[in-house]
Amino acid sequence: MAKELLILDNGTTCSCWNYCGARLAAGSADGTVSIFDFCDSASSSSLRSSFKFKAHEGNVVKVVWVPPEYGDAVASVSADGVVSLWEEVAQDSQPTQWKFCKSFGSSSSKVLDVQFGTSLNSLKMVVACSDGHVRVYELLDPLELRNWQLQAEFQNVIESVSAFGKALCFSASISWNPQKGGSQESSFLIGFNSNTSELNSSKVWEFDQAHQRWLPVAELALPEEKGDRVYAAAWAPNIGRPYETIAVATQKGLSIWHLGLNPDHNGTLPVERVALLPGHEGMVWQMEWDMSGMTLATTGHDGMVRLWQSNLNGIWHQQAVMEPTA
Amino acid sequence: MSRVASDTVGNGALVPFSEDTKDSLAVYPLHHGLAPPISRIAISWARGNSLRVSLFATPSSEPSRTPQDQSGGKVLEVKLGVGDPEISDSRWRQIAYGSVAPFALLQSRRSALSEMIKSSSPYQMDWWENVLEYSKDITSLLSGPKLPPGPIIEERTDIVKKREEPTCLKAAWELLEIFYADKQSQAWLPEKLVDWLADYDSLFSSTHETVYGKLARFQKELVDIQVLEDDPRYWEVMSSALSVGWLDIVVKMLRLHGSYQLDQLSNRELENGLVEAVAVLISKMPRLCHESTNGKLGELFKSKPDFIKAWEKWRSQITKLDCSPFWIQCGNHHTREGLRNLLQIMLGNTESLCMATCYWIELYISHFLYIRPFTTGIESMYNLAQKCIQLKPPSSNHKLTGLIVGILEENTEVVLAESSREFGPWMVAHAIELLTAGSEQAEIVLHDERYNLGGISMIELHRLVYAQVLSSHALTWQIAPIYLTSCMKQGMGLLENLLYRQSIQHNDLLLKNIEICRLYELDHISSDIMKVAGVYHWKHGHKGAGVYWLQQSKDTSRLNRIAQQLFDSVGKSISDESFKQWEGLIELLGSESKPAGGLEFLHKYRDFKRSLQQVYGGKATDAARQAVGSLILLMKNPSTPQRFWLPLLYDSLKLFNWHECPLLNVSETNLLLNKLQELSWARLHPHFSEPNLPAEALSSIRLALATNLGRAILDE
Repeated sequence: MAKELLILDNGTTCSCWNYCGARLAAGSADGTVSIFDFCDSASSSSLRSSFKFKAHEGNVVKVVWVPPEYGDAVASVSADGVVSLWEEVAQDSQPTQWKFCKSFGSSSSKVLDVQFGTSLNSLKMVVACSDGHVRVYELLDPLELRNWQLQAEFQNVIESVSAFGKALCFSASISWNPQKGGSQESSFLIGFNSNTSELNSSKVWEFDQAHQRWLPVAELALPEEKGDRVYAAAWAPNIGRPYETIAVATQKGLSIWHLGLNPDHNGTLPVERVALLPGHEGMVWQMEWDMSGMTLATTGHDGMVRLWQSNLNGIWHQQAVMEPTA
Repeated sequence: MSRVASDTVGNGALVPFSEDTKDSLAVYPLHHGLAPPISRIAISWARGNSLRVSLFATPSSEPSRTPQDQSGGKVLEVKLGVGDPEISDSRWRQIAYGSVAPFALLQSRRSALSEMIKSSSPYQMDWWENVLEYSKDITSLLSGPKLPPGPIIEERTDIVKKREEPTCLKAAWELLEIFYADKQSQAWLPEKLVDWLADYDSLFSSTHETVYGKLARFQKELVDIQVLEDDPRYWEVMSSALSVGWLDIVVKMLRLHGSYQLDQLSNRELENGLVEAVAVLISKMPRLCHESTNGKLGELFKSKPDFIKAWEKWRSQITKLDCSPFWIQCGNHHTREGLRNLLQIMLGNTESLCMATCYWIELYISHFLYIRPFTTGIESMYNLAQKCIQLKPPSSNHKLTGLIVGILEENTEVVLAESSREFGPWMVAHAIELLTAGSEQAEIVLHDERYNLGGISMIELHRLVYAQVLSSHALTWQIAPIYLTSCMKQGMGLLENLLYRQSIQHNDLLLKNIEICRLYELDHISSDIMKVAGVYHWKHGHKGAGVYWLQQSKDTSRLNRIAQQLFDSVGKSISDESFKQWEGLIELLGSESKPAGGLEFLHKYRDFKRSLQQVYGGKATDAARQAVGSLILLMKNPSTPQRFWLPLLYDSLKLFNWHECPLLNVSETNLLLNKLQELSWARLHPHFSEPNLPAEALSSIRLALATNLGRAILDE
């Protein structure tokens, strides 16, 4: 039932498929990013390397594709916390090549995660940093990936009275609401794995147009579990349910949350945890929803790939396990 | 009424990822062949139910010996919940494509019917007739290839014949049709089941001993048996075949009896008479049946009273024969016992039936034939099934038995769960139409919108699940929209996701995608798709295609940016080729997009630039005059941005210094000089941006204009 698509080079550390699953970007320990494409015929099932470029001096730990409305471009994150943005272009009858657009990062804090989302017809890039800061960048020109502006910077806390200066974050997970609204305002979810408990819990941030700022509209943690470190968070595609479905992984396991669509008088969205599942005996590396938002795939520390579903009675359970074997 | 069976059957799984998730969790191995340990795994869903898994090996620093050790990872694709492993992929695709038309026809009839009800039309056709037609279409689709016809001259000893290779899928479908769709068959259920088993008994041979299996084995050995009637298996096999009502086979086998042989006829006259009497009785068995089963043995009766009368007469004939004194005179022990056992079966002796049948379904069928031939009503059918299961407890479960039990106990959810687990999403999505036609209670269960499912009904859920499976394959995703659009609540949402996830690089696929969007009025998705295509082409050097698609998607913000880029090249010296490209783009942008009236300017500028190029190409004064005309038009036009004045004039230096004659008359020269004056005022403004021109540009323009003015005055 499993088919081999590609053998990766020694030192490959991470990979990411583009929106249509036709291209794969893979990052490597030597700082290079490789792009793989399916061979020409549509039904062909083998991939070949089409481009390779050196994006970083050090180890690449994450690659993410930019939404296709902005071209074929990837952002790579290096182990030292720098984001590097590259795009595929062909200019004036020159052959297609990958060009560097911009890099983000500072010496004081490392970038831990980066995710792109579109809201109000413009591309936003959210980065989560090791000092617990969240930065939202906005693309100024939809055809030019070099021009970015820092739109907002805040910490992942509900009451922003004090800043947590000495936060040390090990990982972070950002997930945009996958809704393709076009001109609609979008929102994203972020959770941290840090030594500062106030920062950790996953919170949903929405842009407040009237005051031009990002506001937390929901917190996905039970009162007694707000300090739990978040390993991964994933917002499910909503194909018409009267609530949003979100998965959050902490040391206690995988939680499935329902997020209401209508805010209360404070502007907060109602949340309900509908399941707590055992998870992966430790770190959860990644969680991915299928395109209907009905099946969650997860992978983590125990080296397994697990699939989760709700049954007809709304009870979430593990549906299958895939165990890698030599 | 209906019990919630979700936790007992198939885990209530929405997507059945395996044929068996009943008790323990299914663990699938992912064979990767990498040197352990795996340091990290990355996962990504492709379209539909296919999951891509990247496995990364721990980087090895020392040089390794085998090439296998050198690979740093593997990317695997896992297709989940595809369905029945009994059927090949290509056959599945054939079924998938074939079932689209019947499904779509049924849906359109349903909406037509609901329209009719709304308008309270007096004419209302029975809905189940539509469903039955649909079911028949699917049945013929599921029919396997016909087996090659047997030899023209039939072997005397040919007892079992197959017309086509039976499949469990078709068997299951027909079962559902009998119980749910075919309202006419309700009165004939037992006979229908007898026929059903005759067609599909062979399928159960995979897990049980069956009558079919016995017959098939006996058939192979038949040629080697010397004296048939002395072999106990001959009688055993016949009693088995009779118990499940395969009258033709039994009669044919009886006629193989040794007493029929010409040389024996005289001294075995009595024995042969008994054999023939039994054979005649078997072939005269009354059957309650609504349609002629061409060529089959048994006497058919369409009305119950006639049938009962005939049945009683027939039974009394059997009893009479059973009590006949001829049996004592029959010398052959085997024949005597064998024939009397056949009579016992026909008389409905439970013990004989139990002995003759192999598993509970056969026993069940034999009950319909010989013990309760008038059974009607599904409740008593369920009780009878339970009794038969008790009499012959199953040692292992065949994939069809769970379905049969679910149907008999009238549990819609069990039927669905069994269909889903054993036959996959195709079966459920299509069979649900039969179930809803079956009963109002089932219809309520299936149409009920459930919060747990995100506010959709079971019908919609199973269609979505099936559409996901279709979406996973490049050859079937295009039929997924037909199922998705029949889902009122979430189908469109999933369709949008599906369409958005199609690659735009292949033009035919792109056009197909847009066509689907147009068909289902998904304008915002087609706009997104065209935007992606536009940006892709723009960035990959196909500027024309890029602009075309961006215009199609009405993406004004990107088109404005492109127009801005065209402005940026105003006044710059550009090569012939890039001028042509630039010119083409202005043409493409057309007049639809209006970045601050700038396009009108761009069109005029293009005319100017074109004639200017001819001038530089060494063409005569005429061309130069034309260029001047364009320049004056441009400078007079209020839509020409001020920042381009100087570059335009600088471009025209050669025209001002035309050596043959002054090209501008006095008033024209004055106009340009005034513009220069205006510019020098504008320079005092803080936001004035200096054009990227040589420092002496302004003074050389002024000098040239002054010279021209002088010459013009002299001329005039």
